[in-house]
Amino acid sequence: MSLAEPAALSVAASAPPRLHLARRFIARFKASLPAYLLLLPSLVFLALFTYGAMGRVLIDALYQRATPKAPLRFVGLDNIRAVLADPAFTGAVINNLIYAVGTAIPSIGLALLFALALARTNAVTSALRAALFLPVLIPMVAASALFLFIFLPNVGLLDHYIGRLLPVLPNWLGDPDIALYAIMIITVWKNAGYYMLFFLAGLQAVPEDVMEAAHLDGAGPFMRLRYIILPELKPTFLFVIVIATLNAVTQVDHVFVLTQGGPSNSTNLVLFYIYQQAVEHFDVGKASAATLLTLAALMGLTALSFRTMADREGGA
Amino acid sequence: MLFSRRLMLGLAMAGTLASALTFPALAGEGPTEIDLYFPVPVDGKLARDMGTLIKEFNDGHPDIKATAVYTGSYDDTLIKTRASIKAGKPPAAVIMSANFLLDMQIENELTNLDALIKADGTTKEQFLGQFFPALQGNAVINRSVYGVPFHNSTPLLYINADKAKEAGLDANKPPQTWAELTDWAKKLTKRDGDKVTQWGIAIPCAYDYCGWMMETLTMSNGGRYYNEEFGGEVYYDTPSMLGALTWWNDLVSKFKVHPPGATPGPAVSTSFISGNAAMMMLSTGSLTYVRDNAKFNYKVAFIPRNVRNAVPIGGASLIIPAGVEADKQKAAWTLIKWMTSPEKSAWWSRATGYFAPNMAAYKTPDMVDFLNKNPDAKIAVEQLDVAKPWFATYKTVPVRKNLEDEVMLVLNGKKQPKDALVAAQKAADETLKPYNAETSLKLP
Repeated sequence: MSLAEPAALSVAASAPPRLHLARRFIARFKASLPAYLLLLPSLVFLALFTYGAMGRVLIDALYQRATPKAPLRFVGLDNIRAVLADPAFTGAVINNLIYAVGTAIPSIGLALLFALALARTNAVTSALRAALFLPVLIPMVAASALFLFIFLPNVGLLDHYIGRLLPVLPNWLGDPDIALYAIMIITVWKNAGYYMLFFLAGLQAVPEDVMEAAHLDGAGPFMRLRYIILPELKPTFLFVIVIATLNAVTQVDHVFVLTQGGPSNSTNLVLFYIYQQAVEHFDVGKASAATLLTLAALMGLTALSFRTMADREGGA
Repeated sequence: MLFSRRLMLGLAMAGTLASALTFPALAGEGPTEIDLYFPVPVDGKLARDMGTLIKEFNDGHPDIKATAVYTGSYDDTLIKTRASIKAGKPPAAVIMSANFLLDMQIENELTNLDALIKADGTTKEQFLGQFFPALQGNAVINRSVYGVPFHNSTPLLYINADKAKEAGLDANKPPQTWAELTDWAKKLTKRDGDKVTQWGIAIPCAYDYCGWMMETLTMSNGGRYYNEEFGGEVYYDTPSMLGALTWWNDLVSKFKVHPPGATPGPAVSTSFISGNAAMMMLSTGSLTYVRDNAKFNYKVAFIPRNVRNAVPIGGASLIIPAGVEADKQKAAWTLIKWMTSPEKSAWWSRATGYFAPNMAAYKTPDMVDFLNKNPDAKIAVEQLDVAKPWFATYKTVPVRKNLEDEVMLVLNGKKQPKDALVAAQKAADETLKPYNAETSLKLP
């Protein structure tokens, strides 16, 4: 785009500007018409299933029924106000924040550790990489079903081994103090291998000559990590943090399978709250309002992260 | 040339797409095609049995072609039915969790079956008379029939007879009161220092099951849980429920004979099968599972009473959603009557472990044989004499959750029973408010 603008300016000076611009526009449109036509089918489907749905959410968020038999009426921002005043929603937001921080940091830390340990390619590291990547290949629902047996109180796999050490066996999914952390363990187990891939790719990009020079200058492994590898991995970090945060908001399969948001709402995450409002309470207005709030938060987050990335690239 | 070729390609693609969208396959003439939505709340074998049942129906009724559509759990089936009603293409019949009928009727999502019954030349009383009286409460709303009971259950007390014998107890004389049950549970709990190696009793508490068990305990403590006649009231903050929750809490924290925290149904049955829990309260729907998997002698018994013997029913009814065309309605009605007839009802009961709602089913020769071979299947049917309707209110699921969340806090030692019930009552009243504003509080 930045290349096209000066060219357009210099031509515009030589001819009657309006007519020329219009002709130019038509010519451009003619030239790109086949492209638009080719894009039309996807545009139709995007409009039907993505933009249409988003528009519908926006409209639905503005309407509400006062009583079950009353007609829908326009209520403006009342639904959003109701969602913000709902302790279950605030609870879900807090749970989601704990969940996001508590899954992102350990899984990214583990992923970095794995990547550093397995950076060199040989038969052993390839096998280990495959083993660590395996959880990524298991669908979340299947993984949750597996963990249902691992977490079974008293008779599950975990209690079978840990039970010898602890005086009182924890009820992993039935105790509101523990359940969210149990859910977080699954997420870390599932995601660490995936993020490891990004760090492995990032490590390939660390310049070999710089590393060699550091080696010759007598920098130890820690110094090399601190002053060369970590700074080189910065873009990877930013990318993985964004992915991890998005995952924390968009993945709720394990909540469905393992706890249904319970016990006592202790594992209720924002997306599950939306599902509850829409499906259990049959309250489309409130569900749409909560969706809008979540979408706004996610868009803000994405914009922020892209800006950080752009800043970094500009500064480098 | 390139330009026009691209253009043609684009136009061709758009054209194909448009024709695909605007000309769906033409519907052929022939038998009335109807869909039946069915959930599988217990295990995978049920889906195969449903296939067998529907094939038999189609073979016997050439003018109707029924298709069984699997729709997940009870809750999922409600969601999918509501979605298809909203989309204007409701299925002709649905096997719906019996306690969702009231909520659906309030939302105008059900077909009133009175006219279909009348067209058959029978009266409502005659029609309902086929079924156990305990099941009628969830099928009749405002004196109109909205559902036909299809498969039902009650909660039971399961006892590991071998463990009982070990502890010097006779499983042939099961505990009949809460006092006796507490005593049994104490004797059946094994400790290794502070650590419990065998629990006396386990009662499930996860969303859905927890509310049902609270209703069971409240009813056997003389209470009602909800207003059977009106969908806008629940009785959470009452002495009968306080007693029930306090006793459950005592089993956990005072006597320490019940595992702490909220435990879902499958975890409870696994615990029982593995010998980790010596007794459990669970649905009769799990009886087939226990029969197939228990490697020890077991007994089933009535739920013990504190004030009276009473339990809620569970299970599902057949319904016709609102907005089904007349010819499909008629076909669905034929299917529903066929499925709930004594022979089919009995066959389904033997295949699944639910009891048959049609009383005549128990007079069929096959069923008499089966009960002689499996006397444990009789207990749930006998318990029907004291069974009552399953709680059903406006927004049943959220109102139930209002209580379940608080019960879970109690079982985890985070709240006292009284405080929990006050909070549950307040939350439920809030959920029920819009309905009351339209009914009981709408004054002239």
